[in-house]
Amino acid sequence: MLFPENTEQVQEIIRNAREAGRGLVPLSSEPSHFHGASVNPNAETVCFSRMNRVMKIDRRSRYARVEAGVTFGALIPLLAEQGLRLNLPFLARAGKSAAASALEREAVLIPKYQYDYPDPLLTVETVFGTGDMFRTGSAAGPGSYEASKADKILPWGPGSIDYLRFLSGAQGTIGFVTWATLKAEVLPSASRLFFIAAENAETLTDLANTLLRKRIPDECIIMNREDFAAAFGDNEAEEQTLRGVSPWIMLCRVCGYDRYPEERVDIYDGYVRDACSEVGLNAETSCSLLPGLEERIERMLTDCDRREKSWKLRLGAEQELLLLAAPSKASELIALIESELPDAGIIVQPQVQGRAFRIECNLRFEDKPGETEKYEAVLFELAKKLADKGAYFDRPYGRLTELVYNEPLSVDAMKRLKTIFDPDGILNPGKLCF
Amino acid sequence: MSFSEQVYQELAAVVGERNISREEYVLAGNRAKTPEIPFAHPSPEAIVLPGSTEEVAEIVRICNRCGIKYVAVVTGCIPSAYATGEDTIIIHLKRMNRIVEINDKDRYALIEPGVRHVQLYPEVRKRGLSYAAAAVGPGGSPLVTYSCTGGDNHVQYGTSRPSRYLLGVELVTPEGEILRTGSLQTDSGWFCPESPGPSLRGVVRGYSGNSGKVGIVTKCAIALDMCKGPAEIRREGITPHHKMIMDSDCSRVYVFNYENIQDVCDAIIALGENEIGATVQKYFYLPLTLMMTNSANEFWEKWDTYKEVMSMPLVVHLAAHSVREREYEEKILFDIINETHGTRIPREYEQWWEDHMDYFMIVSRLQSVLRLGGSWLPIKTGAESVQHMCDVGESIGEFIHDFTNTGKIFNAPENYQIIPMEYGHFASIELLFMWDRFDPDGFKNMAEFCAASRESDLKKHYHASPIMGYGKRAEKQGVLYSNCHIWAQLIYEAYNPYIGQ
Repeated sequence: MLFPENTEQVQEIIRNAREAGRGLVPLSSEPSHFHGASVNPNAETVCFSRMNRVMKIDRRSRYARVEAGVTFGALIPLLAEQGLRLNLPFLARAGKSAAASALEREAVLIPKYQYDYPDPLLTVETVFGTGDMFRTGSAAGPGSYEASKADKILPWGPGSIDYLRFLSGAQGTIGFVTWATLKAEVLPSASRLFFIAAENAETLTDLANTLLRKRIPDECIIMNREDFAAAFGDNEAEEQTLRGVSPWIMLCRVCGYDRYPEERVDIYDGYVRDACSEVGLNAETSCSLLPGLEERIERMLTDCDRREKSWKLRLGAEQELLLLAAPSKASELIALIESELPDAGIIVQPQVQGRAFRIECNLRFEDKPGETEKYEAVLFELAKKLADKGAYFDRPYGRLTELVYNEPLSVDAMKRLKTIFDPDGILNPGKLCF
Repeated sequence: MSFSEQVYQELAAVVGERNISREEYVLAGNRAKTPEIPFAHPSPEAIVLPGSTEEVAEIVRICNRCGIKYVAVVTGCIPSAYATGEDTIIIHLKRMNRIVEINDKDRYALIEPGVRHVQLYPEVRKRGLSYAAAAVGPGGSPLVTYSCTGGDNHVQYGTSRPSRYLLGVELVTPEGEILRTGSLQTDSGWFCPESPGPSLRGVVRGYSGNSGKVGIVTKCAIALDMCKGPAEIRREGITPHHKMIMDSDCSRVYVFNYENIQDVCDAIIALGENEIGATVQKYFYLPLTLMMTNSANEFWEKWDTYKEVMSMPLVVHLAAHSVREREYEEKILFDIINETHGTRIPREYEQWWEDHMDYFMIVSRLQSVLRLGGSWLPIKTGAESVQHMCDVGESIGEFIHDFTNTGKIFNAPENYQIIPMEYGHFASIELLFMWDRFDPDGFKNMAEFCAASRESDLKKHYHASPIMGYGKRAEKQGVLYSNCHIWAQLIYEAYNPYIGQ
């Protein structure tokens, strides 16, 4: 394993590997690693744990610039000190690299702040497979990093190419990112969390569609009772208690910011309640299943998961399937998952202003020989059925690549990209369609 | 091979005789010079009007086989929309003008290149939806704005740039293949712009579009936002002296004037932090005066007064879901304006905005800007943080007076606009200047002023003048921008084997 400490060392590692014809795979987060993007038996691992500087936090222009090894656990308190917060994934692991999470297009909790799929990723510095360093968007220049007077936050370009999109979702196959600029938002001064229970997912996805087109909630997430219990319960007994919740539940938070925060919360409270009552639902501000559950959930929605063991691994092992769906397709796809795997945990997160849903199907099981392969196969079969119904696997890990890289013209177009930025194919070889 | 009768007949066989022409009067209309450029474009050999993606692909393949160059055109508003050499045809996409789908639930519109803002905007508004129509006027093509060119717009404060709203794209590659990007790559619909893994969407456009260098976009989906306000707005009078009035207790427009740009900056940032307002912009006073007057004579009568009253106007459109929310927003707005030393302009001026709400939709009065009869050009046109853009705006005074004081350009030194995006996360800047197109030195003066502006940005290391072009043409600037000209050239060569020919 190689441990670079700066960009020059990353360049040297890549140039040496290129000369030797050796594969490299980047690793930025602490274990556990769920999707396998950072595991590659045909490559040496480049671990970014020593590149862990928070380079800048800017309250006025609302962003943070961090090296690849900076984790959520380290970054969140530093932002909070300056009255800022990240648009976080749901229960992001404390040891997860904030840059890697954004690069992987992990679903975020506040869709109204997400204008585009790479959001909250703004700009990055990367080293391509050629060994060349490159900075995206307005971080490109003019001039060196030190000379440029820009805040280096504009995502697009430079020029008429959107280089950031070549790196986003690429699993390190195009370039290794050394630092990233992440959009930050104002830390709310007041908030109210709602529990909205329903018998089926469709009612809640429709409600989310209504609320988000009006930009009403901050955090918004829909879960079935299986994942609600597993995520918020701290042990087996609590999980059992929390399974007493309705089959589906939406957690949604309205917030007030610097000025007259309570007034904003009251106004937006009214919007949530009105939208709920129109479809026969109740927006509750309490959930009596466990004492102090409301505070616990609000705290967990606004921080990373600092528990020692990931909630997904409580039984020992897990397999998950991630897909994107247009709002008009979401309920059909969720129903298919429910019918095929009635015991699966399901999380549905509205994204990009509510114009899409990230659907996550989670299977948790004991870590016994053969079990992982068995459930992997189960999810792959499910994925095929979901793909037939219009599911989009935009983050294809493992065998999912078999489902998504079938159209020769677009695969050829993607390979042309790879050839430009990694002509010798040394970056995470064998992943995606490369 | 040069353009021949045989090539003409092959093209005619694809689109039909009615949809191809080489009549002199038709060709003349497609080589007309634009006012700001004092030379005529070469004549195209023919104008071809395809009606479908398949026809575009077939035309491209014929051109490749016969060595004919082509330029794809919709509105012809920009200088690059014309033939630049011999043996070139114009592929005019105006027949492809269908709104294929407006998907209310998934909030996107699927459009062809020939669809105009004036066609699309009312249709989406009827459904309670909206989109960021670029400040190009009602005749502009949304597809071109979103996929091929720039696209700053007047409502991007509460939304964003088209770069954020371009979803699935269908394009005919320079090799004549039909490529679909994003979720279309796996037949999963038009809703997602990202490819599985690294996204081909990055090739389609960056900060600006690449004006067809990697293919002709024949369809694209653009994301829609909810529209706050009535589905239809009331009109009084006859165009161009019409009023468009939004009767809504939830909507208000306020205009404040400032004495310095750093105060404007503070106001924009504070508004954004509190997510107040649907539209916020520091507008430019010259186009504003032109839009607010009805003739050149009236402009000259009022210019001295208007430029004082609205020397640095901050326009704020509040659009809330309820009266209570609007009042809450007003309370915060006035607090911020007081703290940042803004003053509300007299009601007689402010009323103009209430009477012309179409400005916030499809900018229908923009053509008034041309009334003085000179040439005009927007420069800088970059974007970055609000603070950075305001610093850039402040620096304009350091070089513009050499040009305004000598009469080389119109004397309006504060004539730049700053429009925030995404509630103040970013902002764009545009410095609009005018010059006398009948002045023999006018073109030279224009070029000198552009160079002075760019030089100022580079010297100060301001990210305000986007890098344009590729390859050798962009080399001088590209070395200052992470050598992006080299990468851009590699990308264009990879996707367009005919580039540079």
